[in-house]
Amino acid sequence: MGRLLMLLVLLAALAAAPLRAQPAATVVGDSGRAVTVVDDRGRAIPVPQPVRRVVALLPSLTEAVCALDACDRLVGVDRFSNWPPQVQALPRLGGLEDTTIERLVALQPDLVLAATSSRALARLEALGLRVLALEPRNLADTRRVLELLAQALGRPGAGERLWARIDQRLSDAAGRVPPALRGQTVYFEVASAPYAAGEASFVGEVLTRLQLGNVVPAAMGPFPQLNPEFVVRAQPGIVMASARGLAEMPARPGWKALAALQAGRSCGFSEAQYDLLVRPGPRLADGAELIASCLARLGGRPK
Amino acid sequence: MQMARPSSRLFARLFARLFARPLLTAWRLAGLLALLALLGIAAGLAAGSEGWSLAWHDDAVLIQAIRAPRSLGALAAGMLLGLAGALAQGLFRNPLADPYLLGSAAGAGLGVVLALAAGGALAGSAAMPPLGWLRELGLVGAAFCGALGGVALTLLLAGGAARPLQLLLCGVVVGVLMGAASDLLLLVSPEALRGRQVFLLGTTGFLGWPALGWLAGALALVLPLACWFGRALDALVLGDASARSLGLRLPALRLLLVGLMALATGTAVSQVGLVGFVGLVAPHLVRRLVPVTHRALLALSAAAGGVLLLAADVAARSLIAPQELPVGVLTALLGGVYLLVLLRRQRGGR
Amino acid sequence: MSALAAGLLQADRLQWSVGGQRVVDQVTLALAPGQWTALVGPNGAGKSSLLALLAGLHRPDAGQVLLAGRPLADWPARQRAQRLAWMSQQGEAEGEIIGVDVVGLGRLPHQGLFGAPTADDMAAVQAAMAETASTPFAARRLSTLSGGERQRMLLSRALAAQSPVLLLDEPTTHLDAPHQRALVRSLLQRARAGAAVLAVMHDLNLALMADRLLVLHHGRLVADGPPDDAALQQRLVAVFDQAFSIAALPGPQGRRWVAVPAL
Repeated sequence: MGRLLMLLVLLAALAAAPLRAQPAATVVGDSGRAVTVVDDRGRAIPVPQPVRRVVALLPSLTEAVCALDACDRLVGVDRFSNWPPQVQALPRLGGLEDTTIERLVALQPDLVLAATSSRALARLEALGLRVLALEPRNLADTRRVLELLAQALGRPGAGERLWARIDQRLSDAAGRVPPALRGQTVYFEVASAPYAAGEASFVGEVLTRLQLGNVVPAAMGPFPQLNPEFVVRAQPGIVMASARGLAEMPARPGWKALAALQAGRSCGFSEAQYDLLVRPGPRLADGAELIASCLARLGGRPK
Repeated sequence: MQMARPSSRLFARLFARLFARPLLTAWRLAGLLALLALLGIAAGLAAGSEGWSLAWHDDAVLIQAIRAPRSLGALAAGMLLGLAGALAQGLFRNPLADPYLLGSAAGAGLGVVLALAAGGALAGSAAMPPLGWLRELGLVGAAFCGALGGVALTLLLAGGAARPLQLLLCGVVVGVLMGAASDLLLLVSPEALRGRQVFLLGTTGFLGWPALGWLAGALALVLPLACWFGRALDALVLGDASARSLGLRLPALRLLLVGLMALATGTAVSQVGLVGFVGLVAPHLVRRLVPVTHRALLALSAAAGGVLLLAADVAARSLIAPQELPVGVLTALLGGVYLLVLLRRQRGGR
Repeated sequence: MSALAAGLLQADRLQWSVGGQRVVDQVTLALAPGQWTALVGPNGAGKSSLLALLAGLHRPDAGQVLLAGRPLADWPARQRAQRLAWMSQQGEAEGEIIGVDVVGLGRLPHQGLFGAPTADDMAAVQAAMAETASTPFAARRLSTLSGGERQRMLLSRALAAQSPVLLLDEPTTHLDAPHQRALVRSLLQRARAGAAVLAVMHDLNLALMADRLLVLHHGRLVADGPPDDAALQQRLVAVFDQAFSIAALPGPQGRRWVAVPAL
């Protein structure tokens, strides 16, 4: 009966929450023995302190836990978490779709951190585990999630401090962008149809912080599939893509006309670096620095 | 009873039929499709990222470099798919057959995933040296080889093209197996997911003049050959045994036709991805409108397929410009709506 | 037709098994040109299988079939098809193809896969359709025809080949009485013109009008001769478990044999 009630509450909560604008996960109260936290599903989850065993099922959440100096508390991560290096030795618990429930439960975690779109949520809660559903999608989300996690882990304020450091690094990175390239429009390709990252996307926000423009305005959504002609017309000042994508760009019909490609104002990222850029997590400053370094290298070239 | 005298008008039609000149309506359909193709190309040249524009002089570079090869390429790919669909439906005598039946779609998908994985996580792994040449091949080459490989595997498992049911079953098995292999590979190399998704939905975005060259070349090879052997498909309508009694060597003929189908499908799929419905719907459309033998059916299906894909491509570009819809979604919409209309008309009585 | 070699079809100790079951058992026969032969027997006697073997569609386990003195396997497929036309029992044909194109397929052995129809082909198709009175629906799609109309169309396909040997498997299926009569007249006409016609007949009354009867039972040929042979008639009745008796009826052209059901 209790499980049914939980499921009904879950369904009601999901039904009540509009699709995009999730109620902000906040810290509600501190009863001393337990910290109550409202996750991205809008559910208030009491987290008894201290939390010693944590399972993280999303790479950005893994990185957040480690950035908050709680890496030693991690007992299990998902298949795709690969930073910092010490988590690679931890038990792997599947991906987004195929969490290995049994193995997870065997680890007896105090707290499970999962994506809101994970299919395992209901099952894990039905098994009596404490699950926080968090899925940061932009800079504001990342900041909020960092502090929320800090609270849940018993380190209030650590999130905000971490964010302050990240913020500082972002500003520093913005400073490293050569003046000639500031304000230039960027075409950031995510997949080769072509799908671009617009202003509204996470990586678009990072670019904005670096004082760079975007050929894709916010109105077109975070990851629109573009007509290739649009990119040629838009003549971005800088082109950013995966190294493989960049290599085949000049062969695309009409793309030789892109001045940015001709002048070599392009940044090609390896797959690992790419992960860094598109993951909304504590390493976003690393991603920003990556972009800034690339731009600094280009800075010397004539327009 | 024995010598019912036909009317002279009927005799005239019979004469026209027997001279293998299609009836007037078949020619009219061909003319209509040609006209639609021309209109479609004109629309394709006008549909840019800013919406419709007839300022062709200003956009000359864009038109020449991007819009022209893309529109012509969509036409050519659609023609290949329509032809392959007609071949599939004739070979298997099943109106639900489509060109992806014999493992070509699954094979192409696996090829694409292998190529993407080879460039990704597996590239660093010393255990996969043979995959290096996959990168050289590129996605297009990998998809083509994969498609042909899928069909070859199906033929191998079925022991040739002698028994159509066996061939179909083996095609299904190969499709499932290759799909599973592709999924397993994606578990190991998740960065191939994006590329595979794009491939599955189909895209005409990057068709350039070289791509058009490949498509047109394949068309120039497959279409005349298929039409030349079209009579064999007519004979198959009578059934395998009757066709054999007419002196046809069926296994060899079927093998040839399967090969032509694989070539057409592989080329189209490698350039535009897995665009669905074109191969299924184009022959139906033609058969509904005019009753023709396979020589004309193959050519008209090709034309209908070309027009369908071209229309979908233009719509994909113009509906939410400057954004694009995946062209596979639009062919499914157009094709699905057509089939629905067809079914309702049949239910309402002809 | 006189230009082609005499359509002499011989079978020599034919044997064929399917799934361990002996379907055709030591059958020896010879079809002479100028005769219409009817092949009769109870269900499962192996009539269709024998016909398929004679048409060269299956390879016998033992024995051989000779066409104009040459073994069937030695004939190139197209030339064999020019001399031997076979119509299946199961009308598998269906689809959007129109009637006259179906009949036109009968000329395929003469045209070849790549040839275009000639005036001879046209004439043959017209004649074949006229014989079965199919001309009125020649322009209709096969899927819109009734069972009888389809059967006549498929029959025309076999007749259009104008081959010296004609093998028909249950050609009277779906046909009503007038069209059955027309078919029989057509077969007789062909036979008189010099063809060797072998038809599997379900209807014994029609079969008894043939020049010659072949009676098959459990894959064995138990009787071979003209219908008025008394011994053959006895064998025939015995093979069908005395389900009928054969009576003679006086007719305008002499005696006619009929099978009268015994209740």
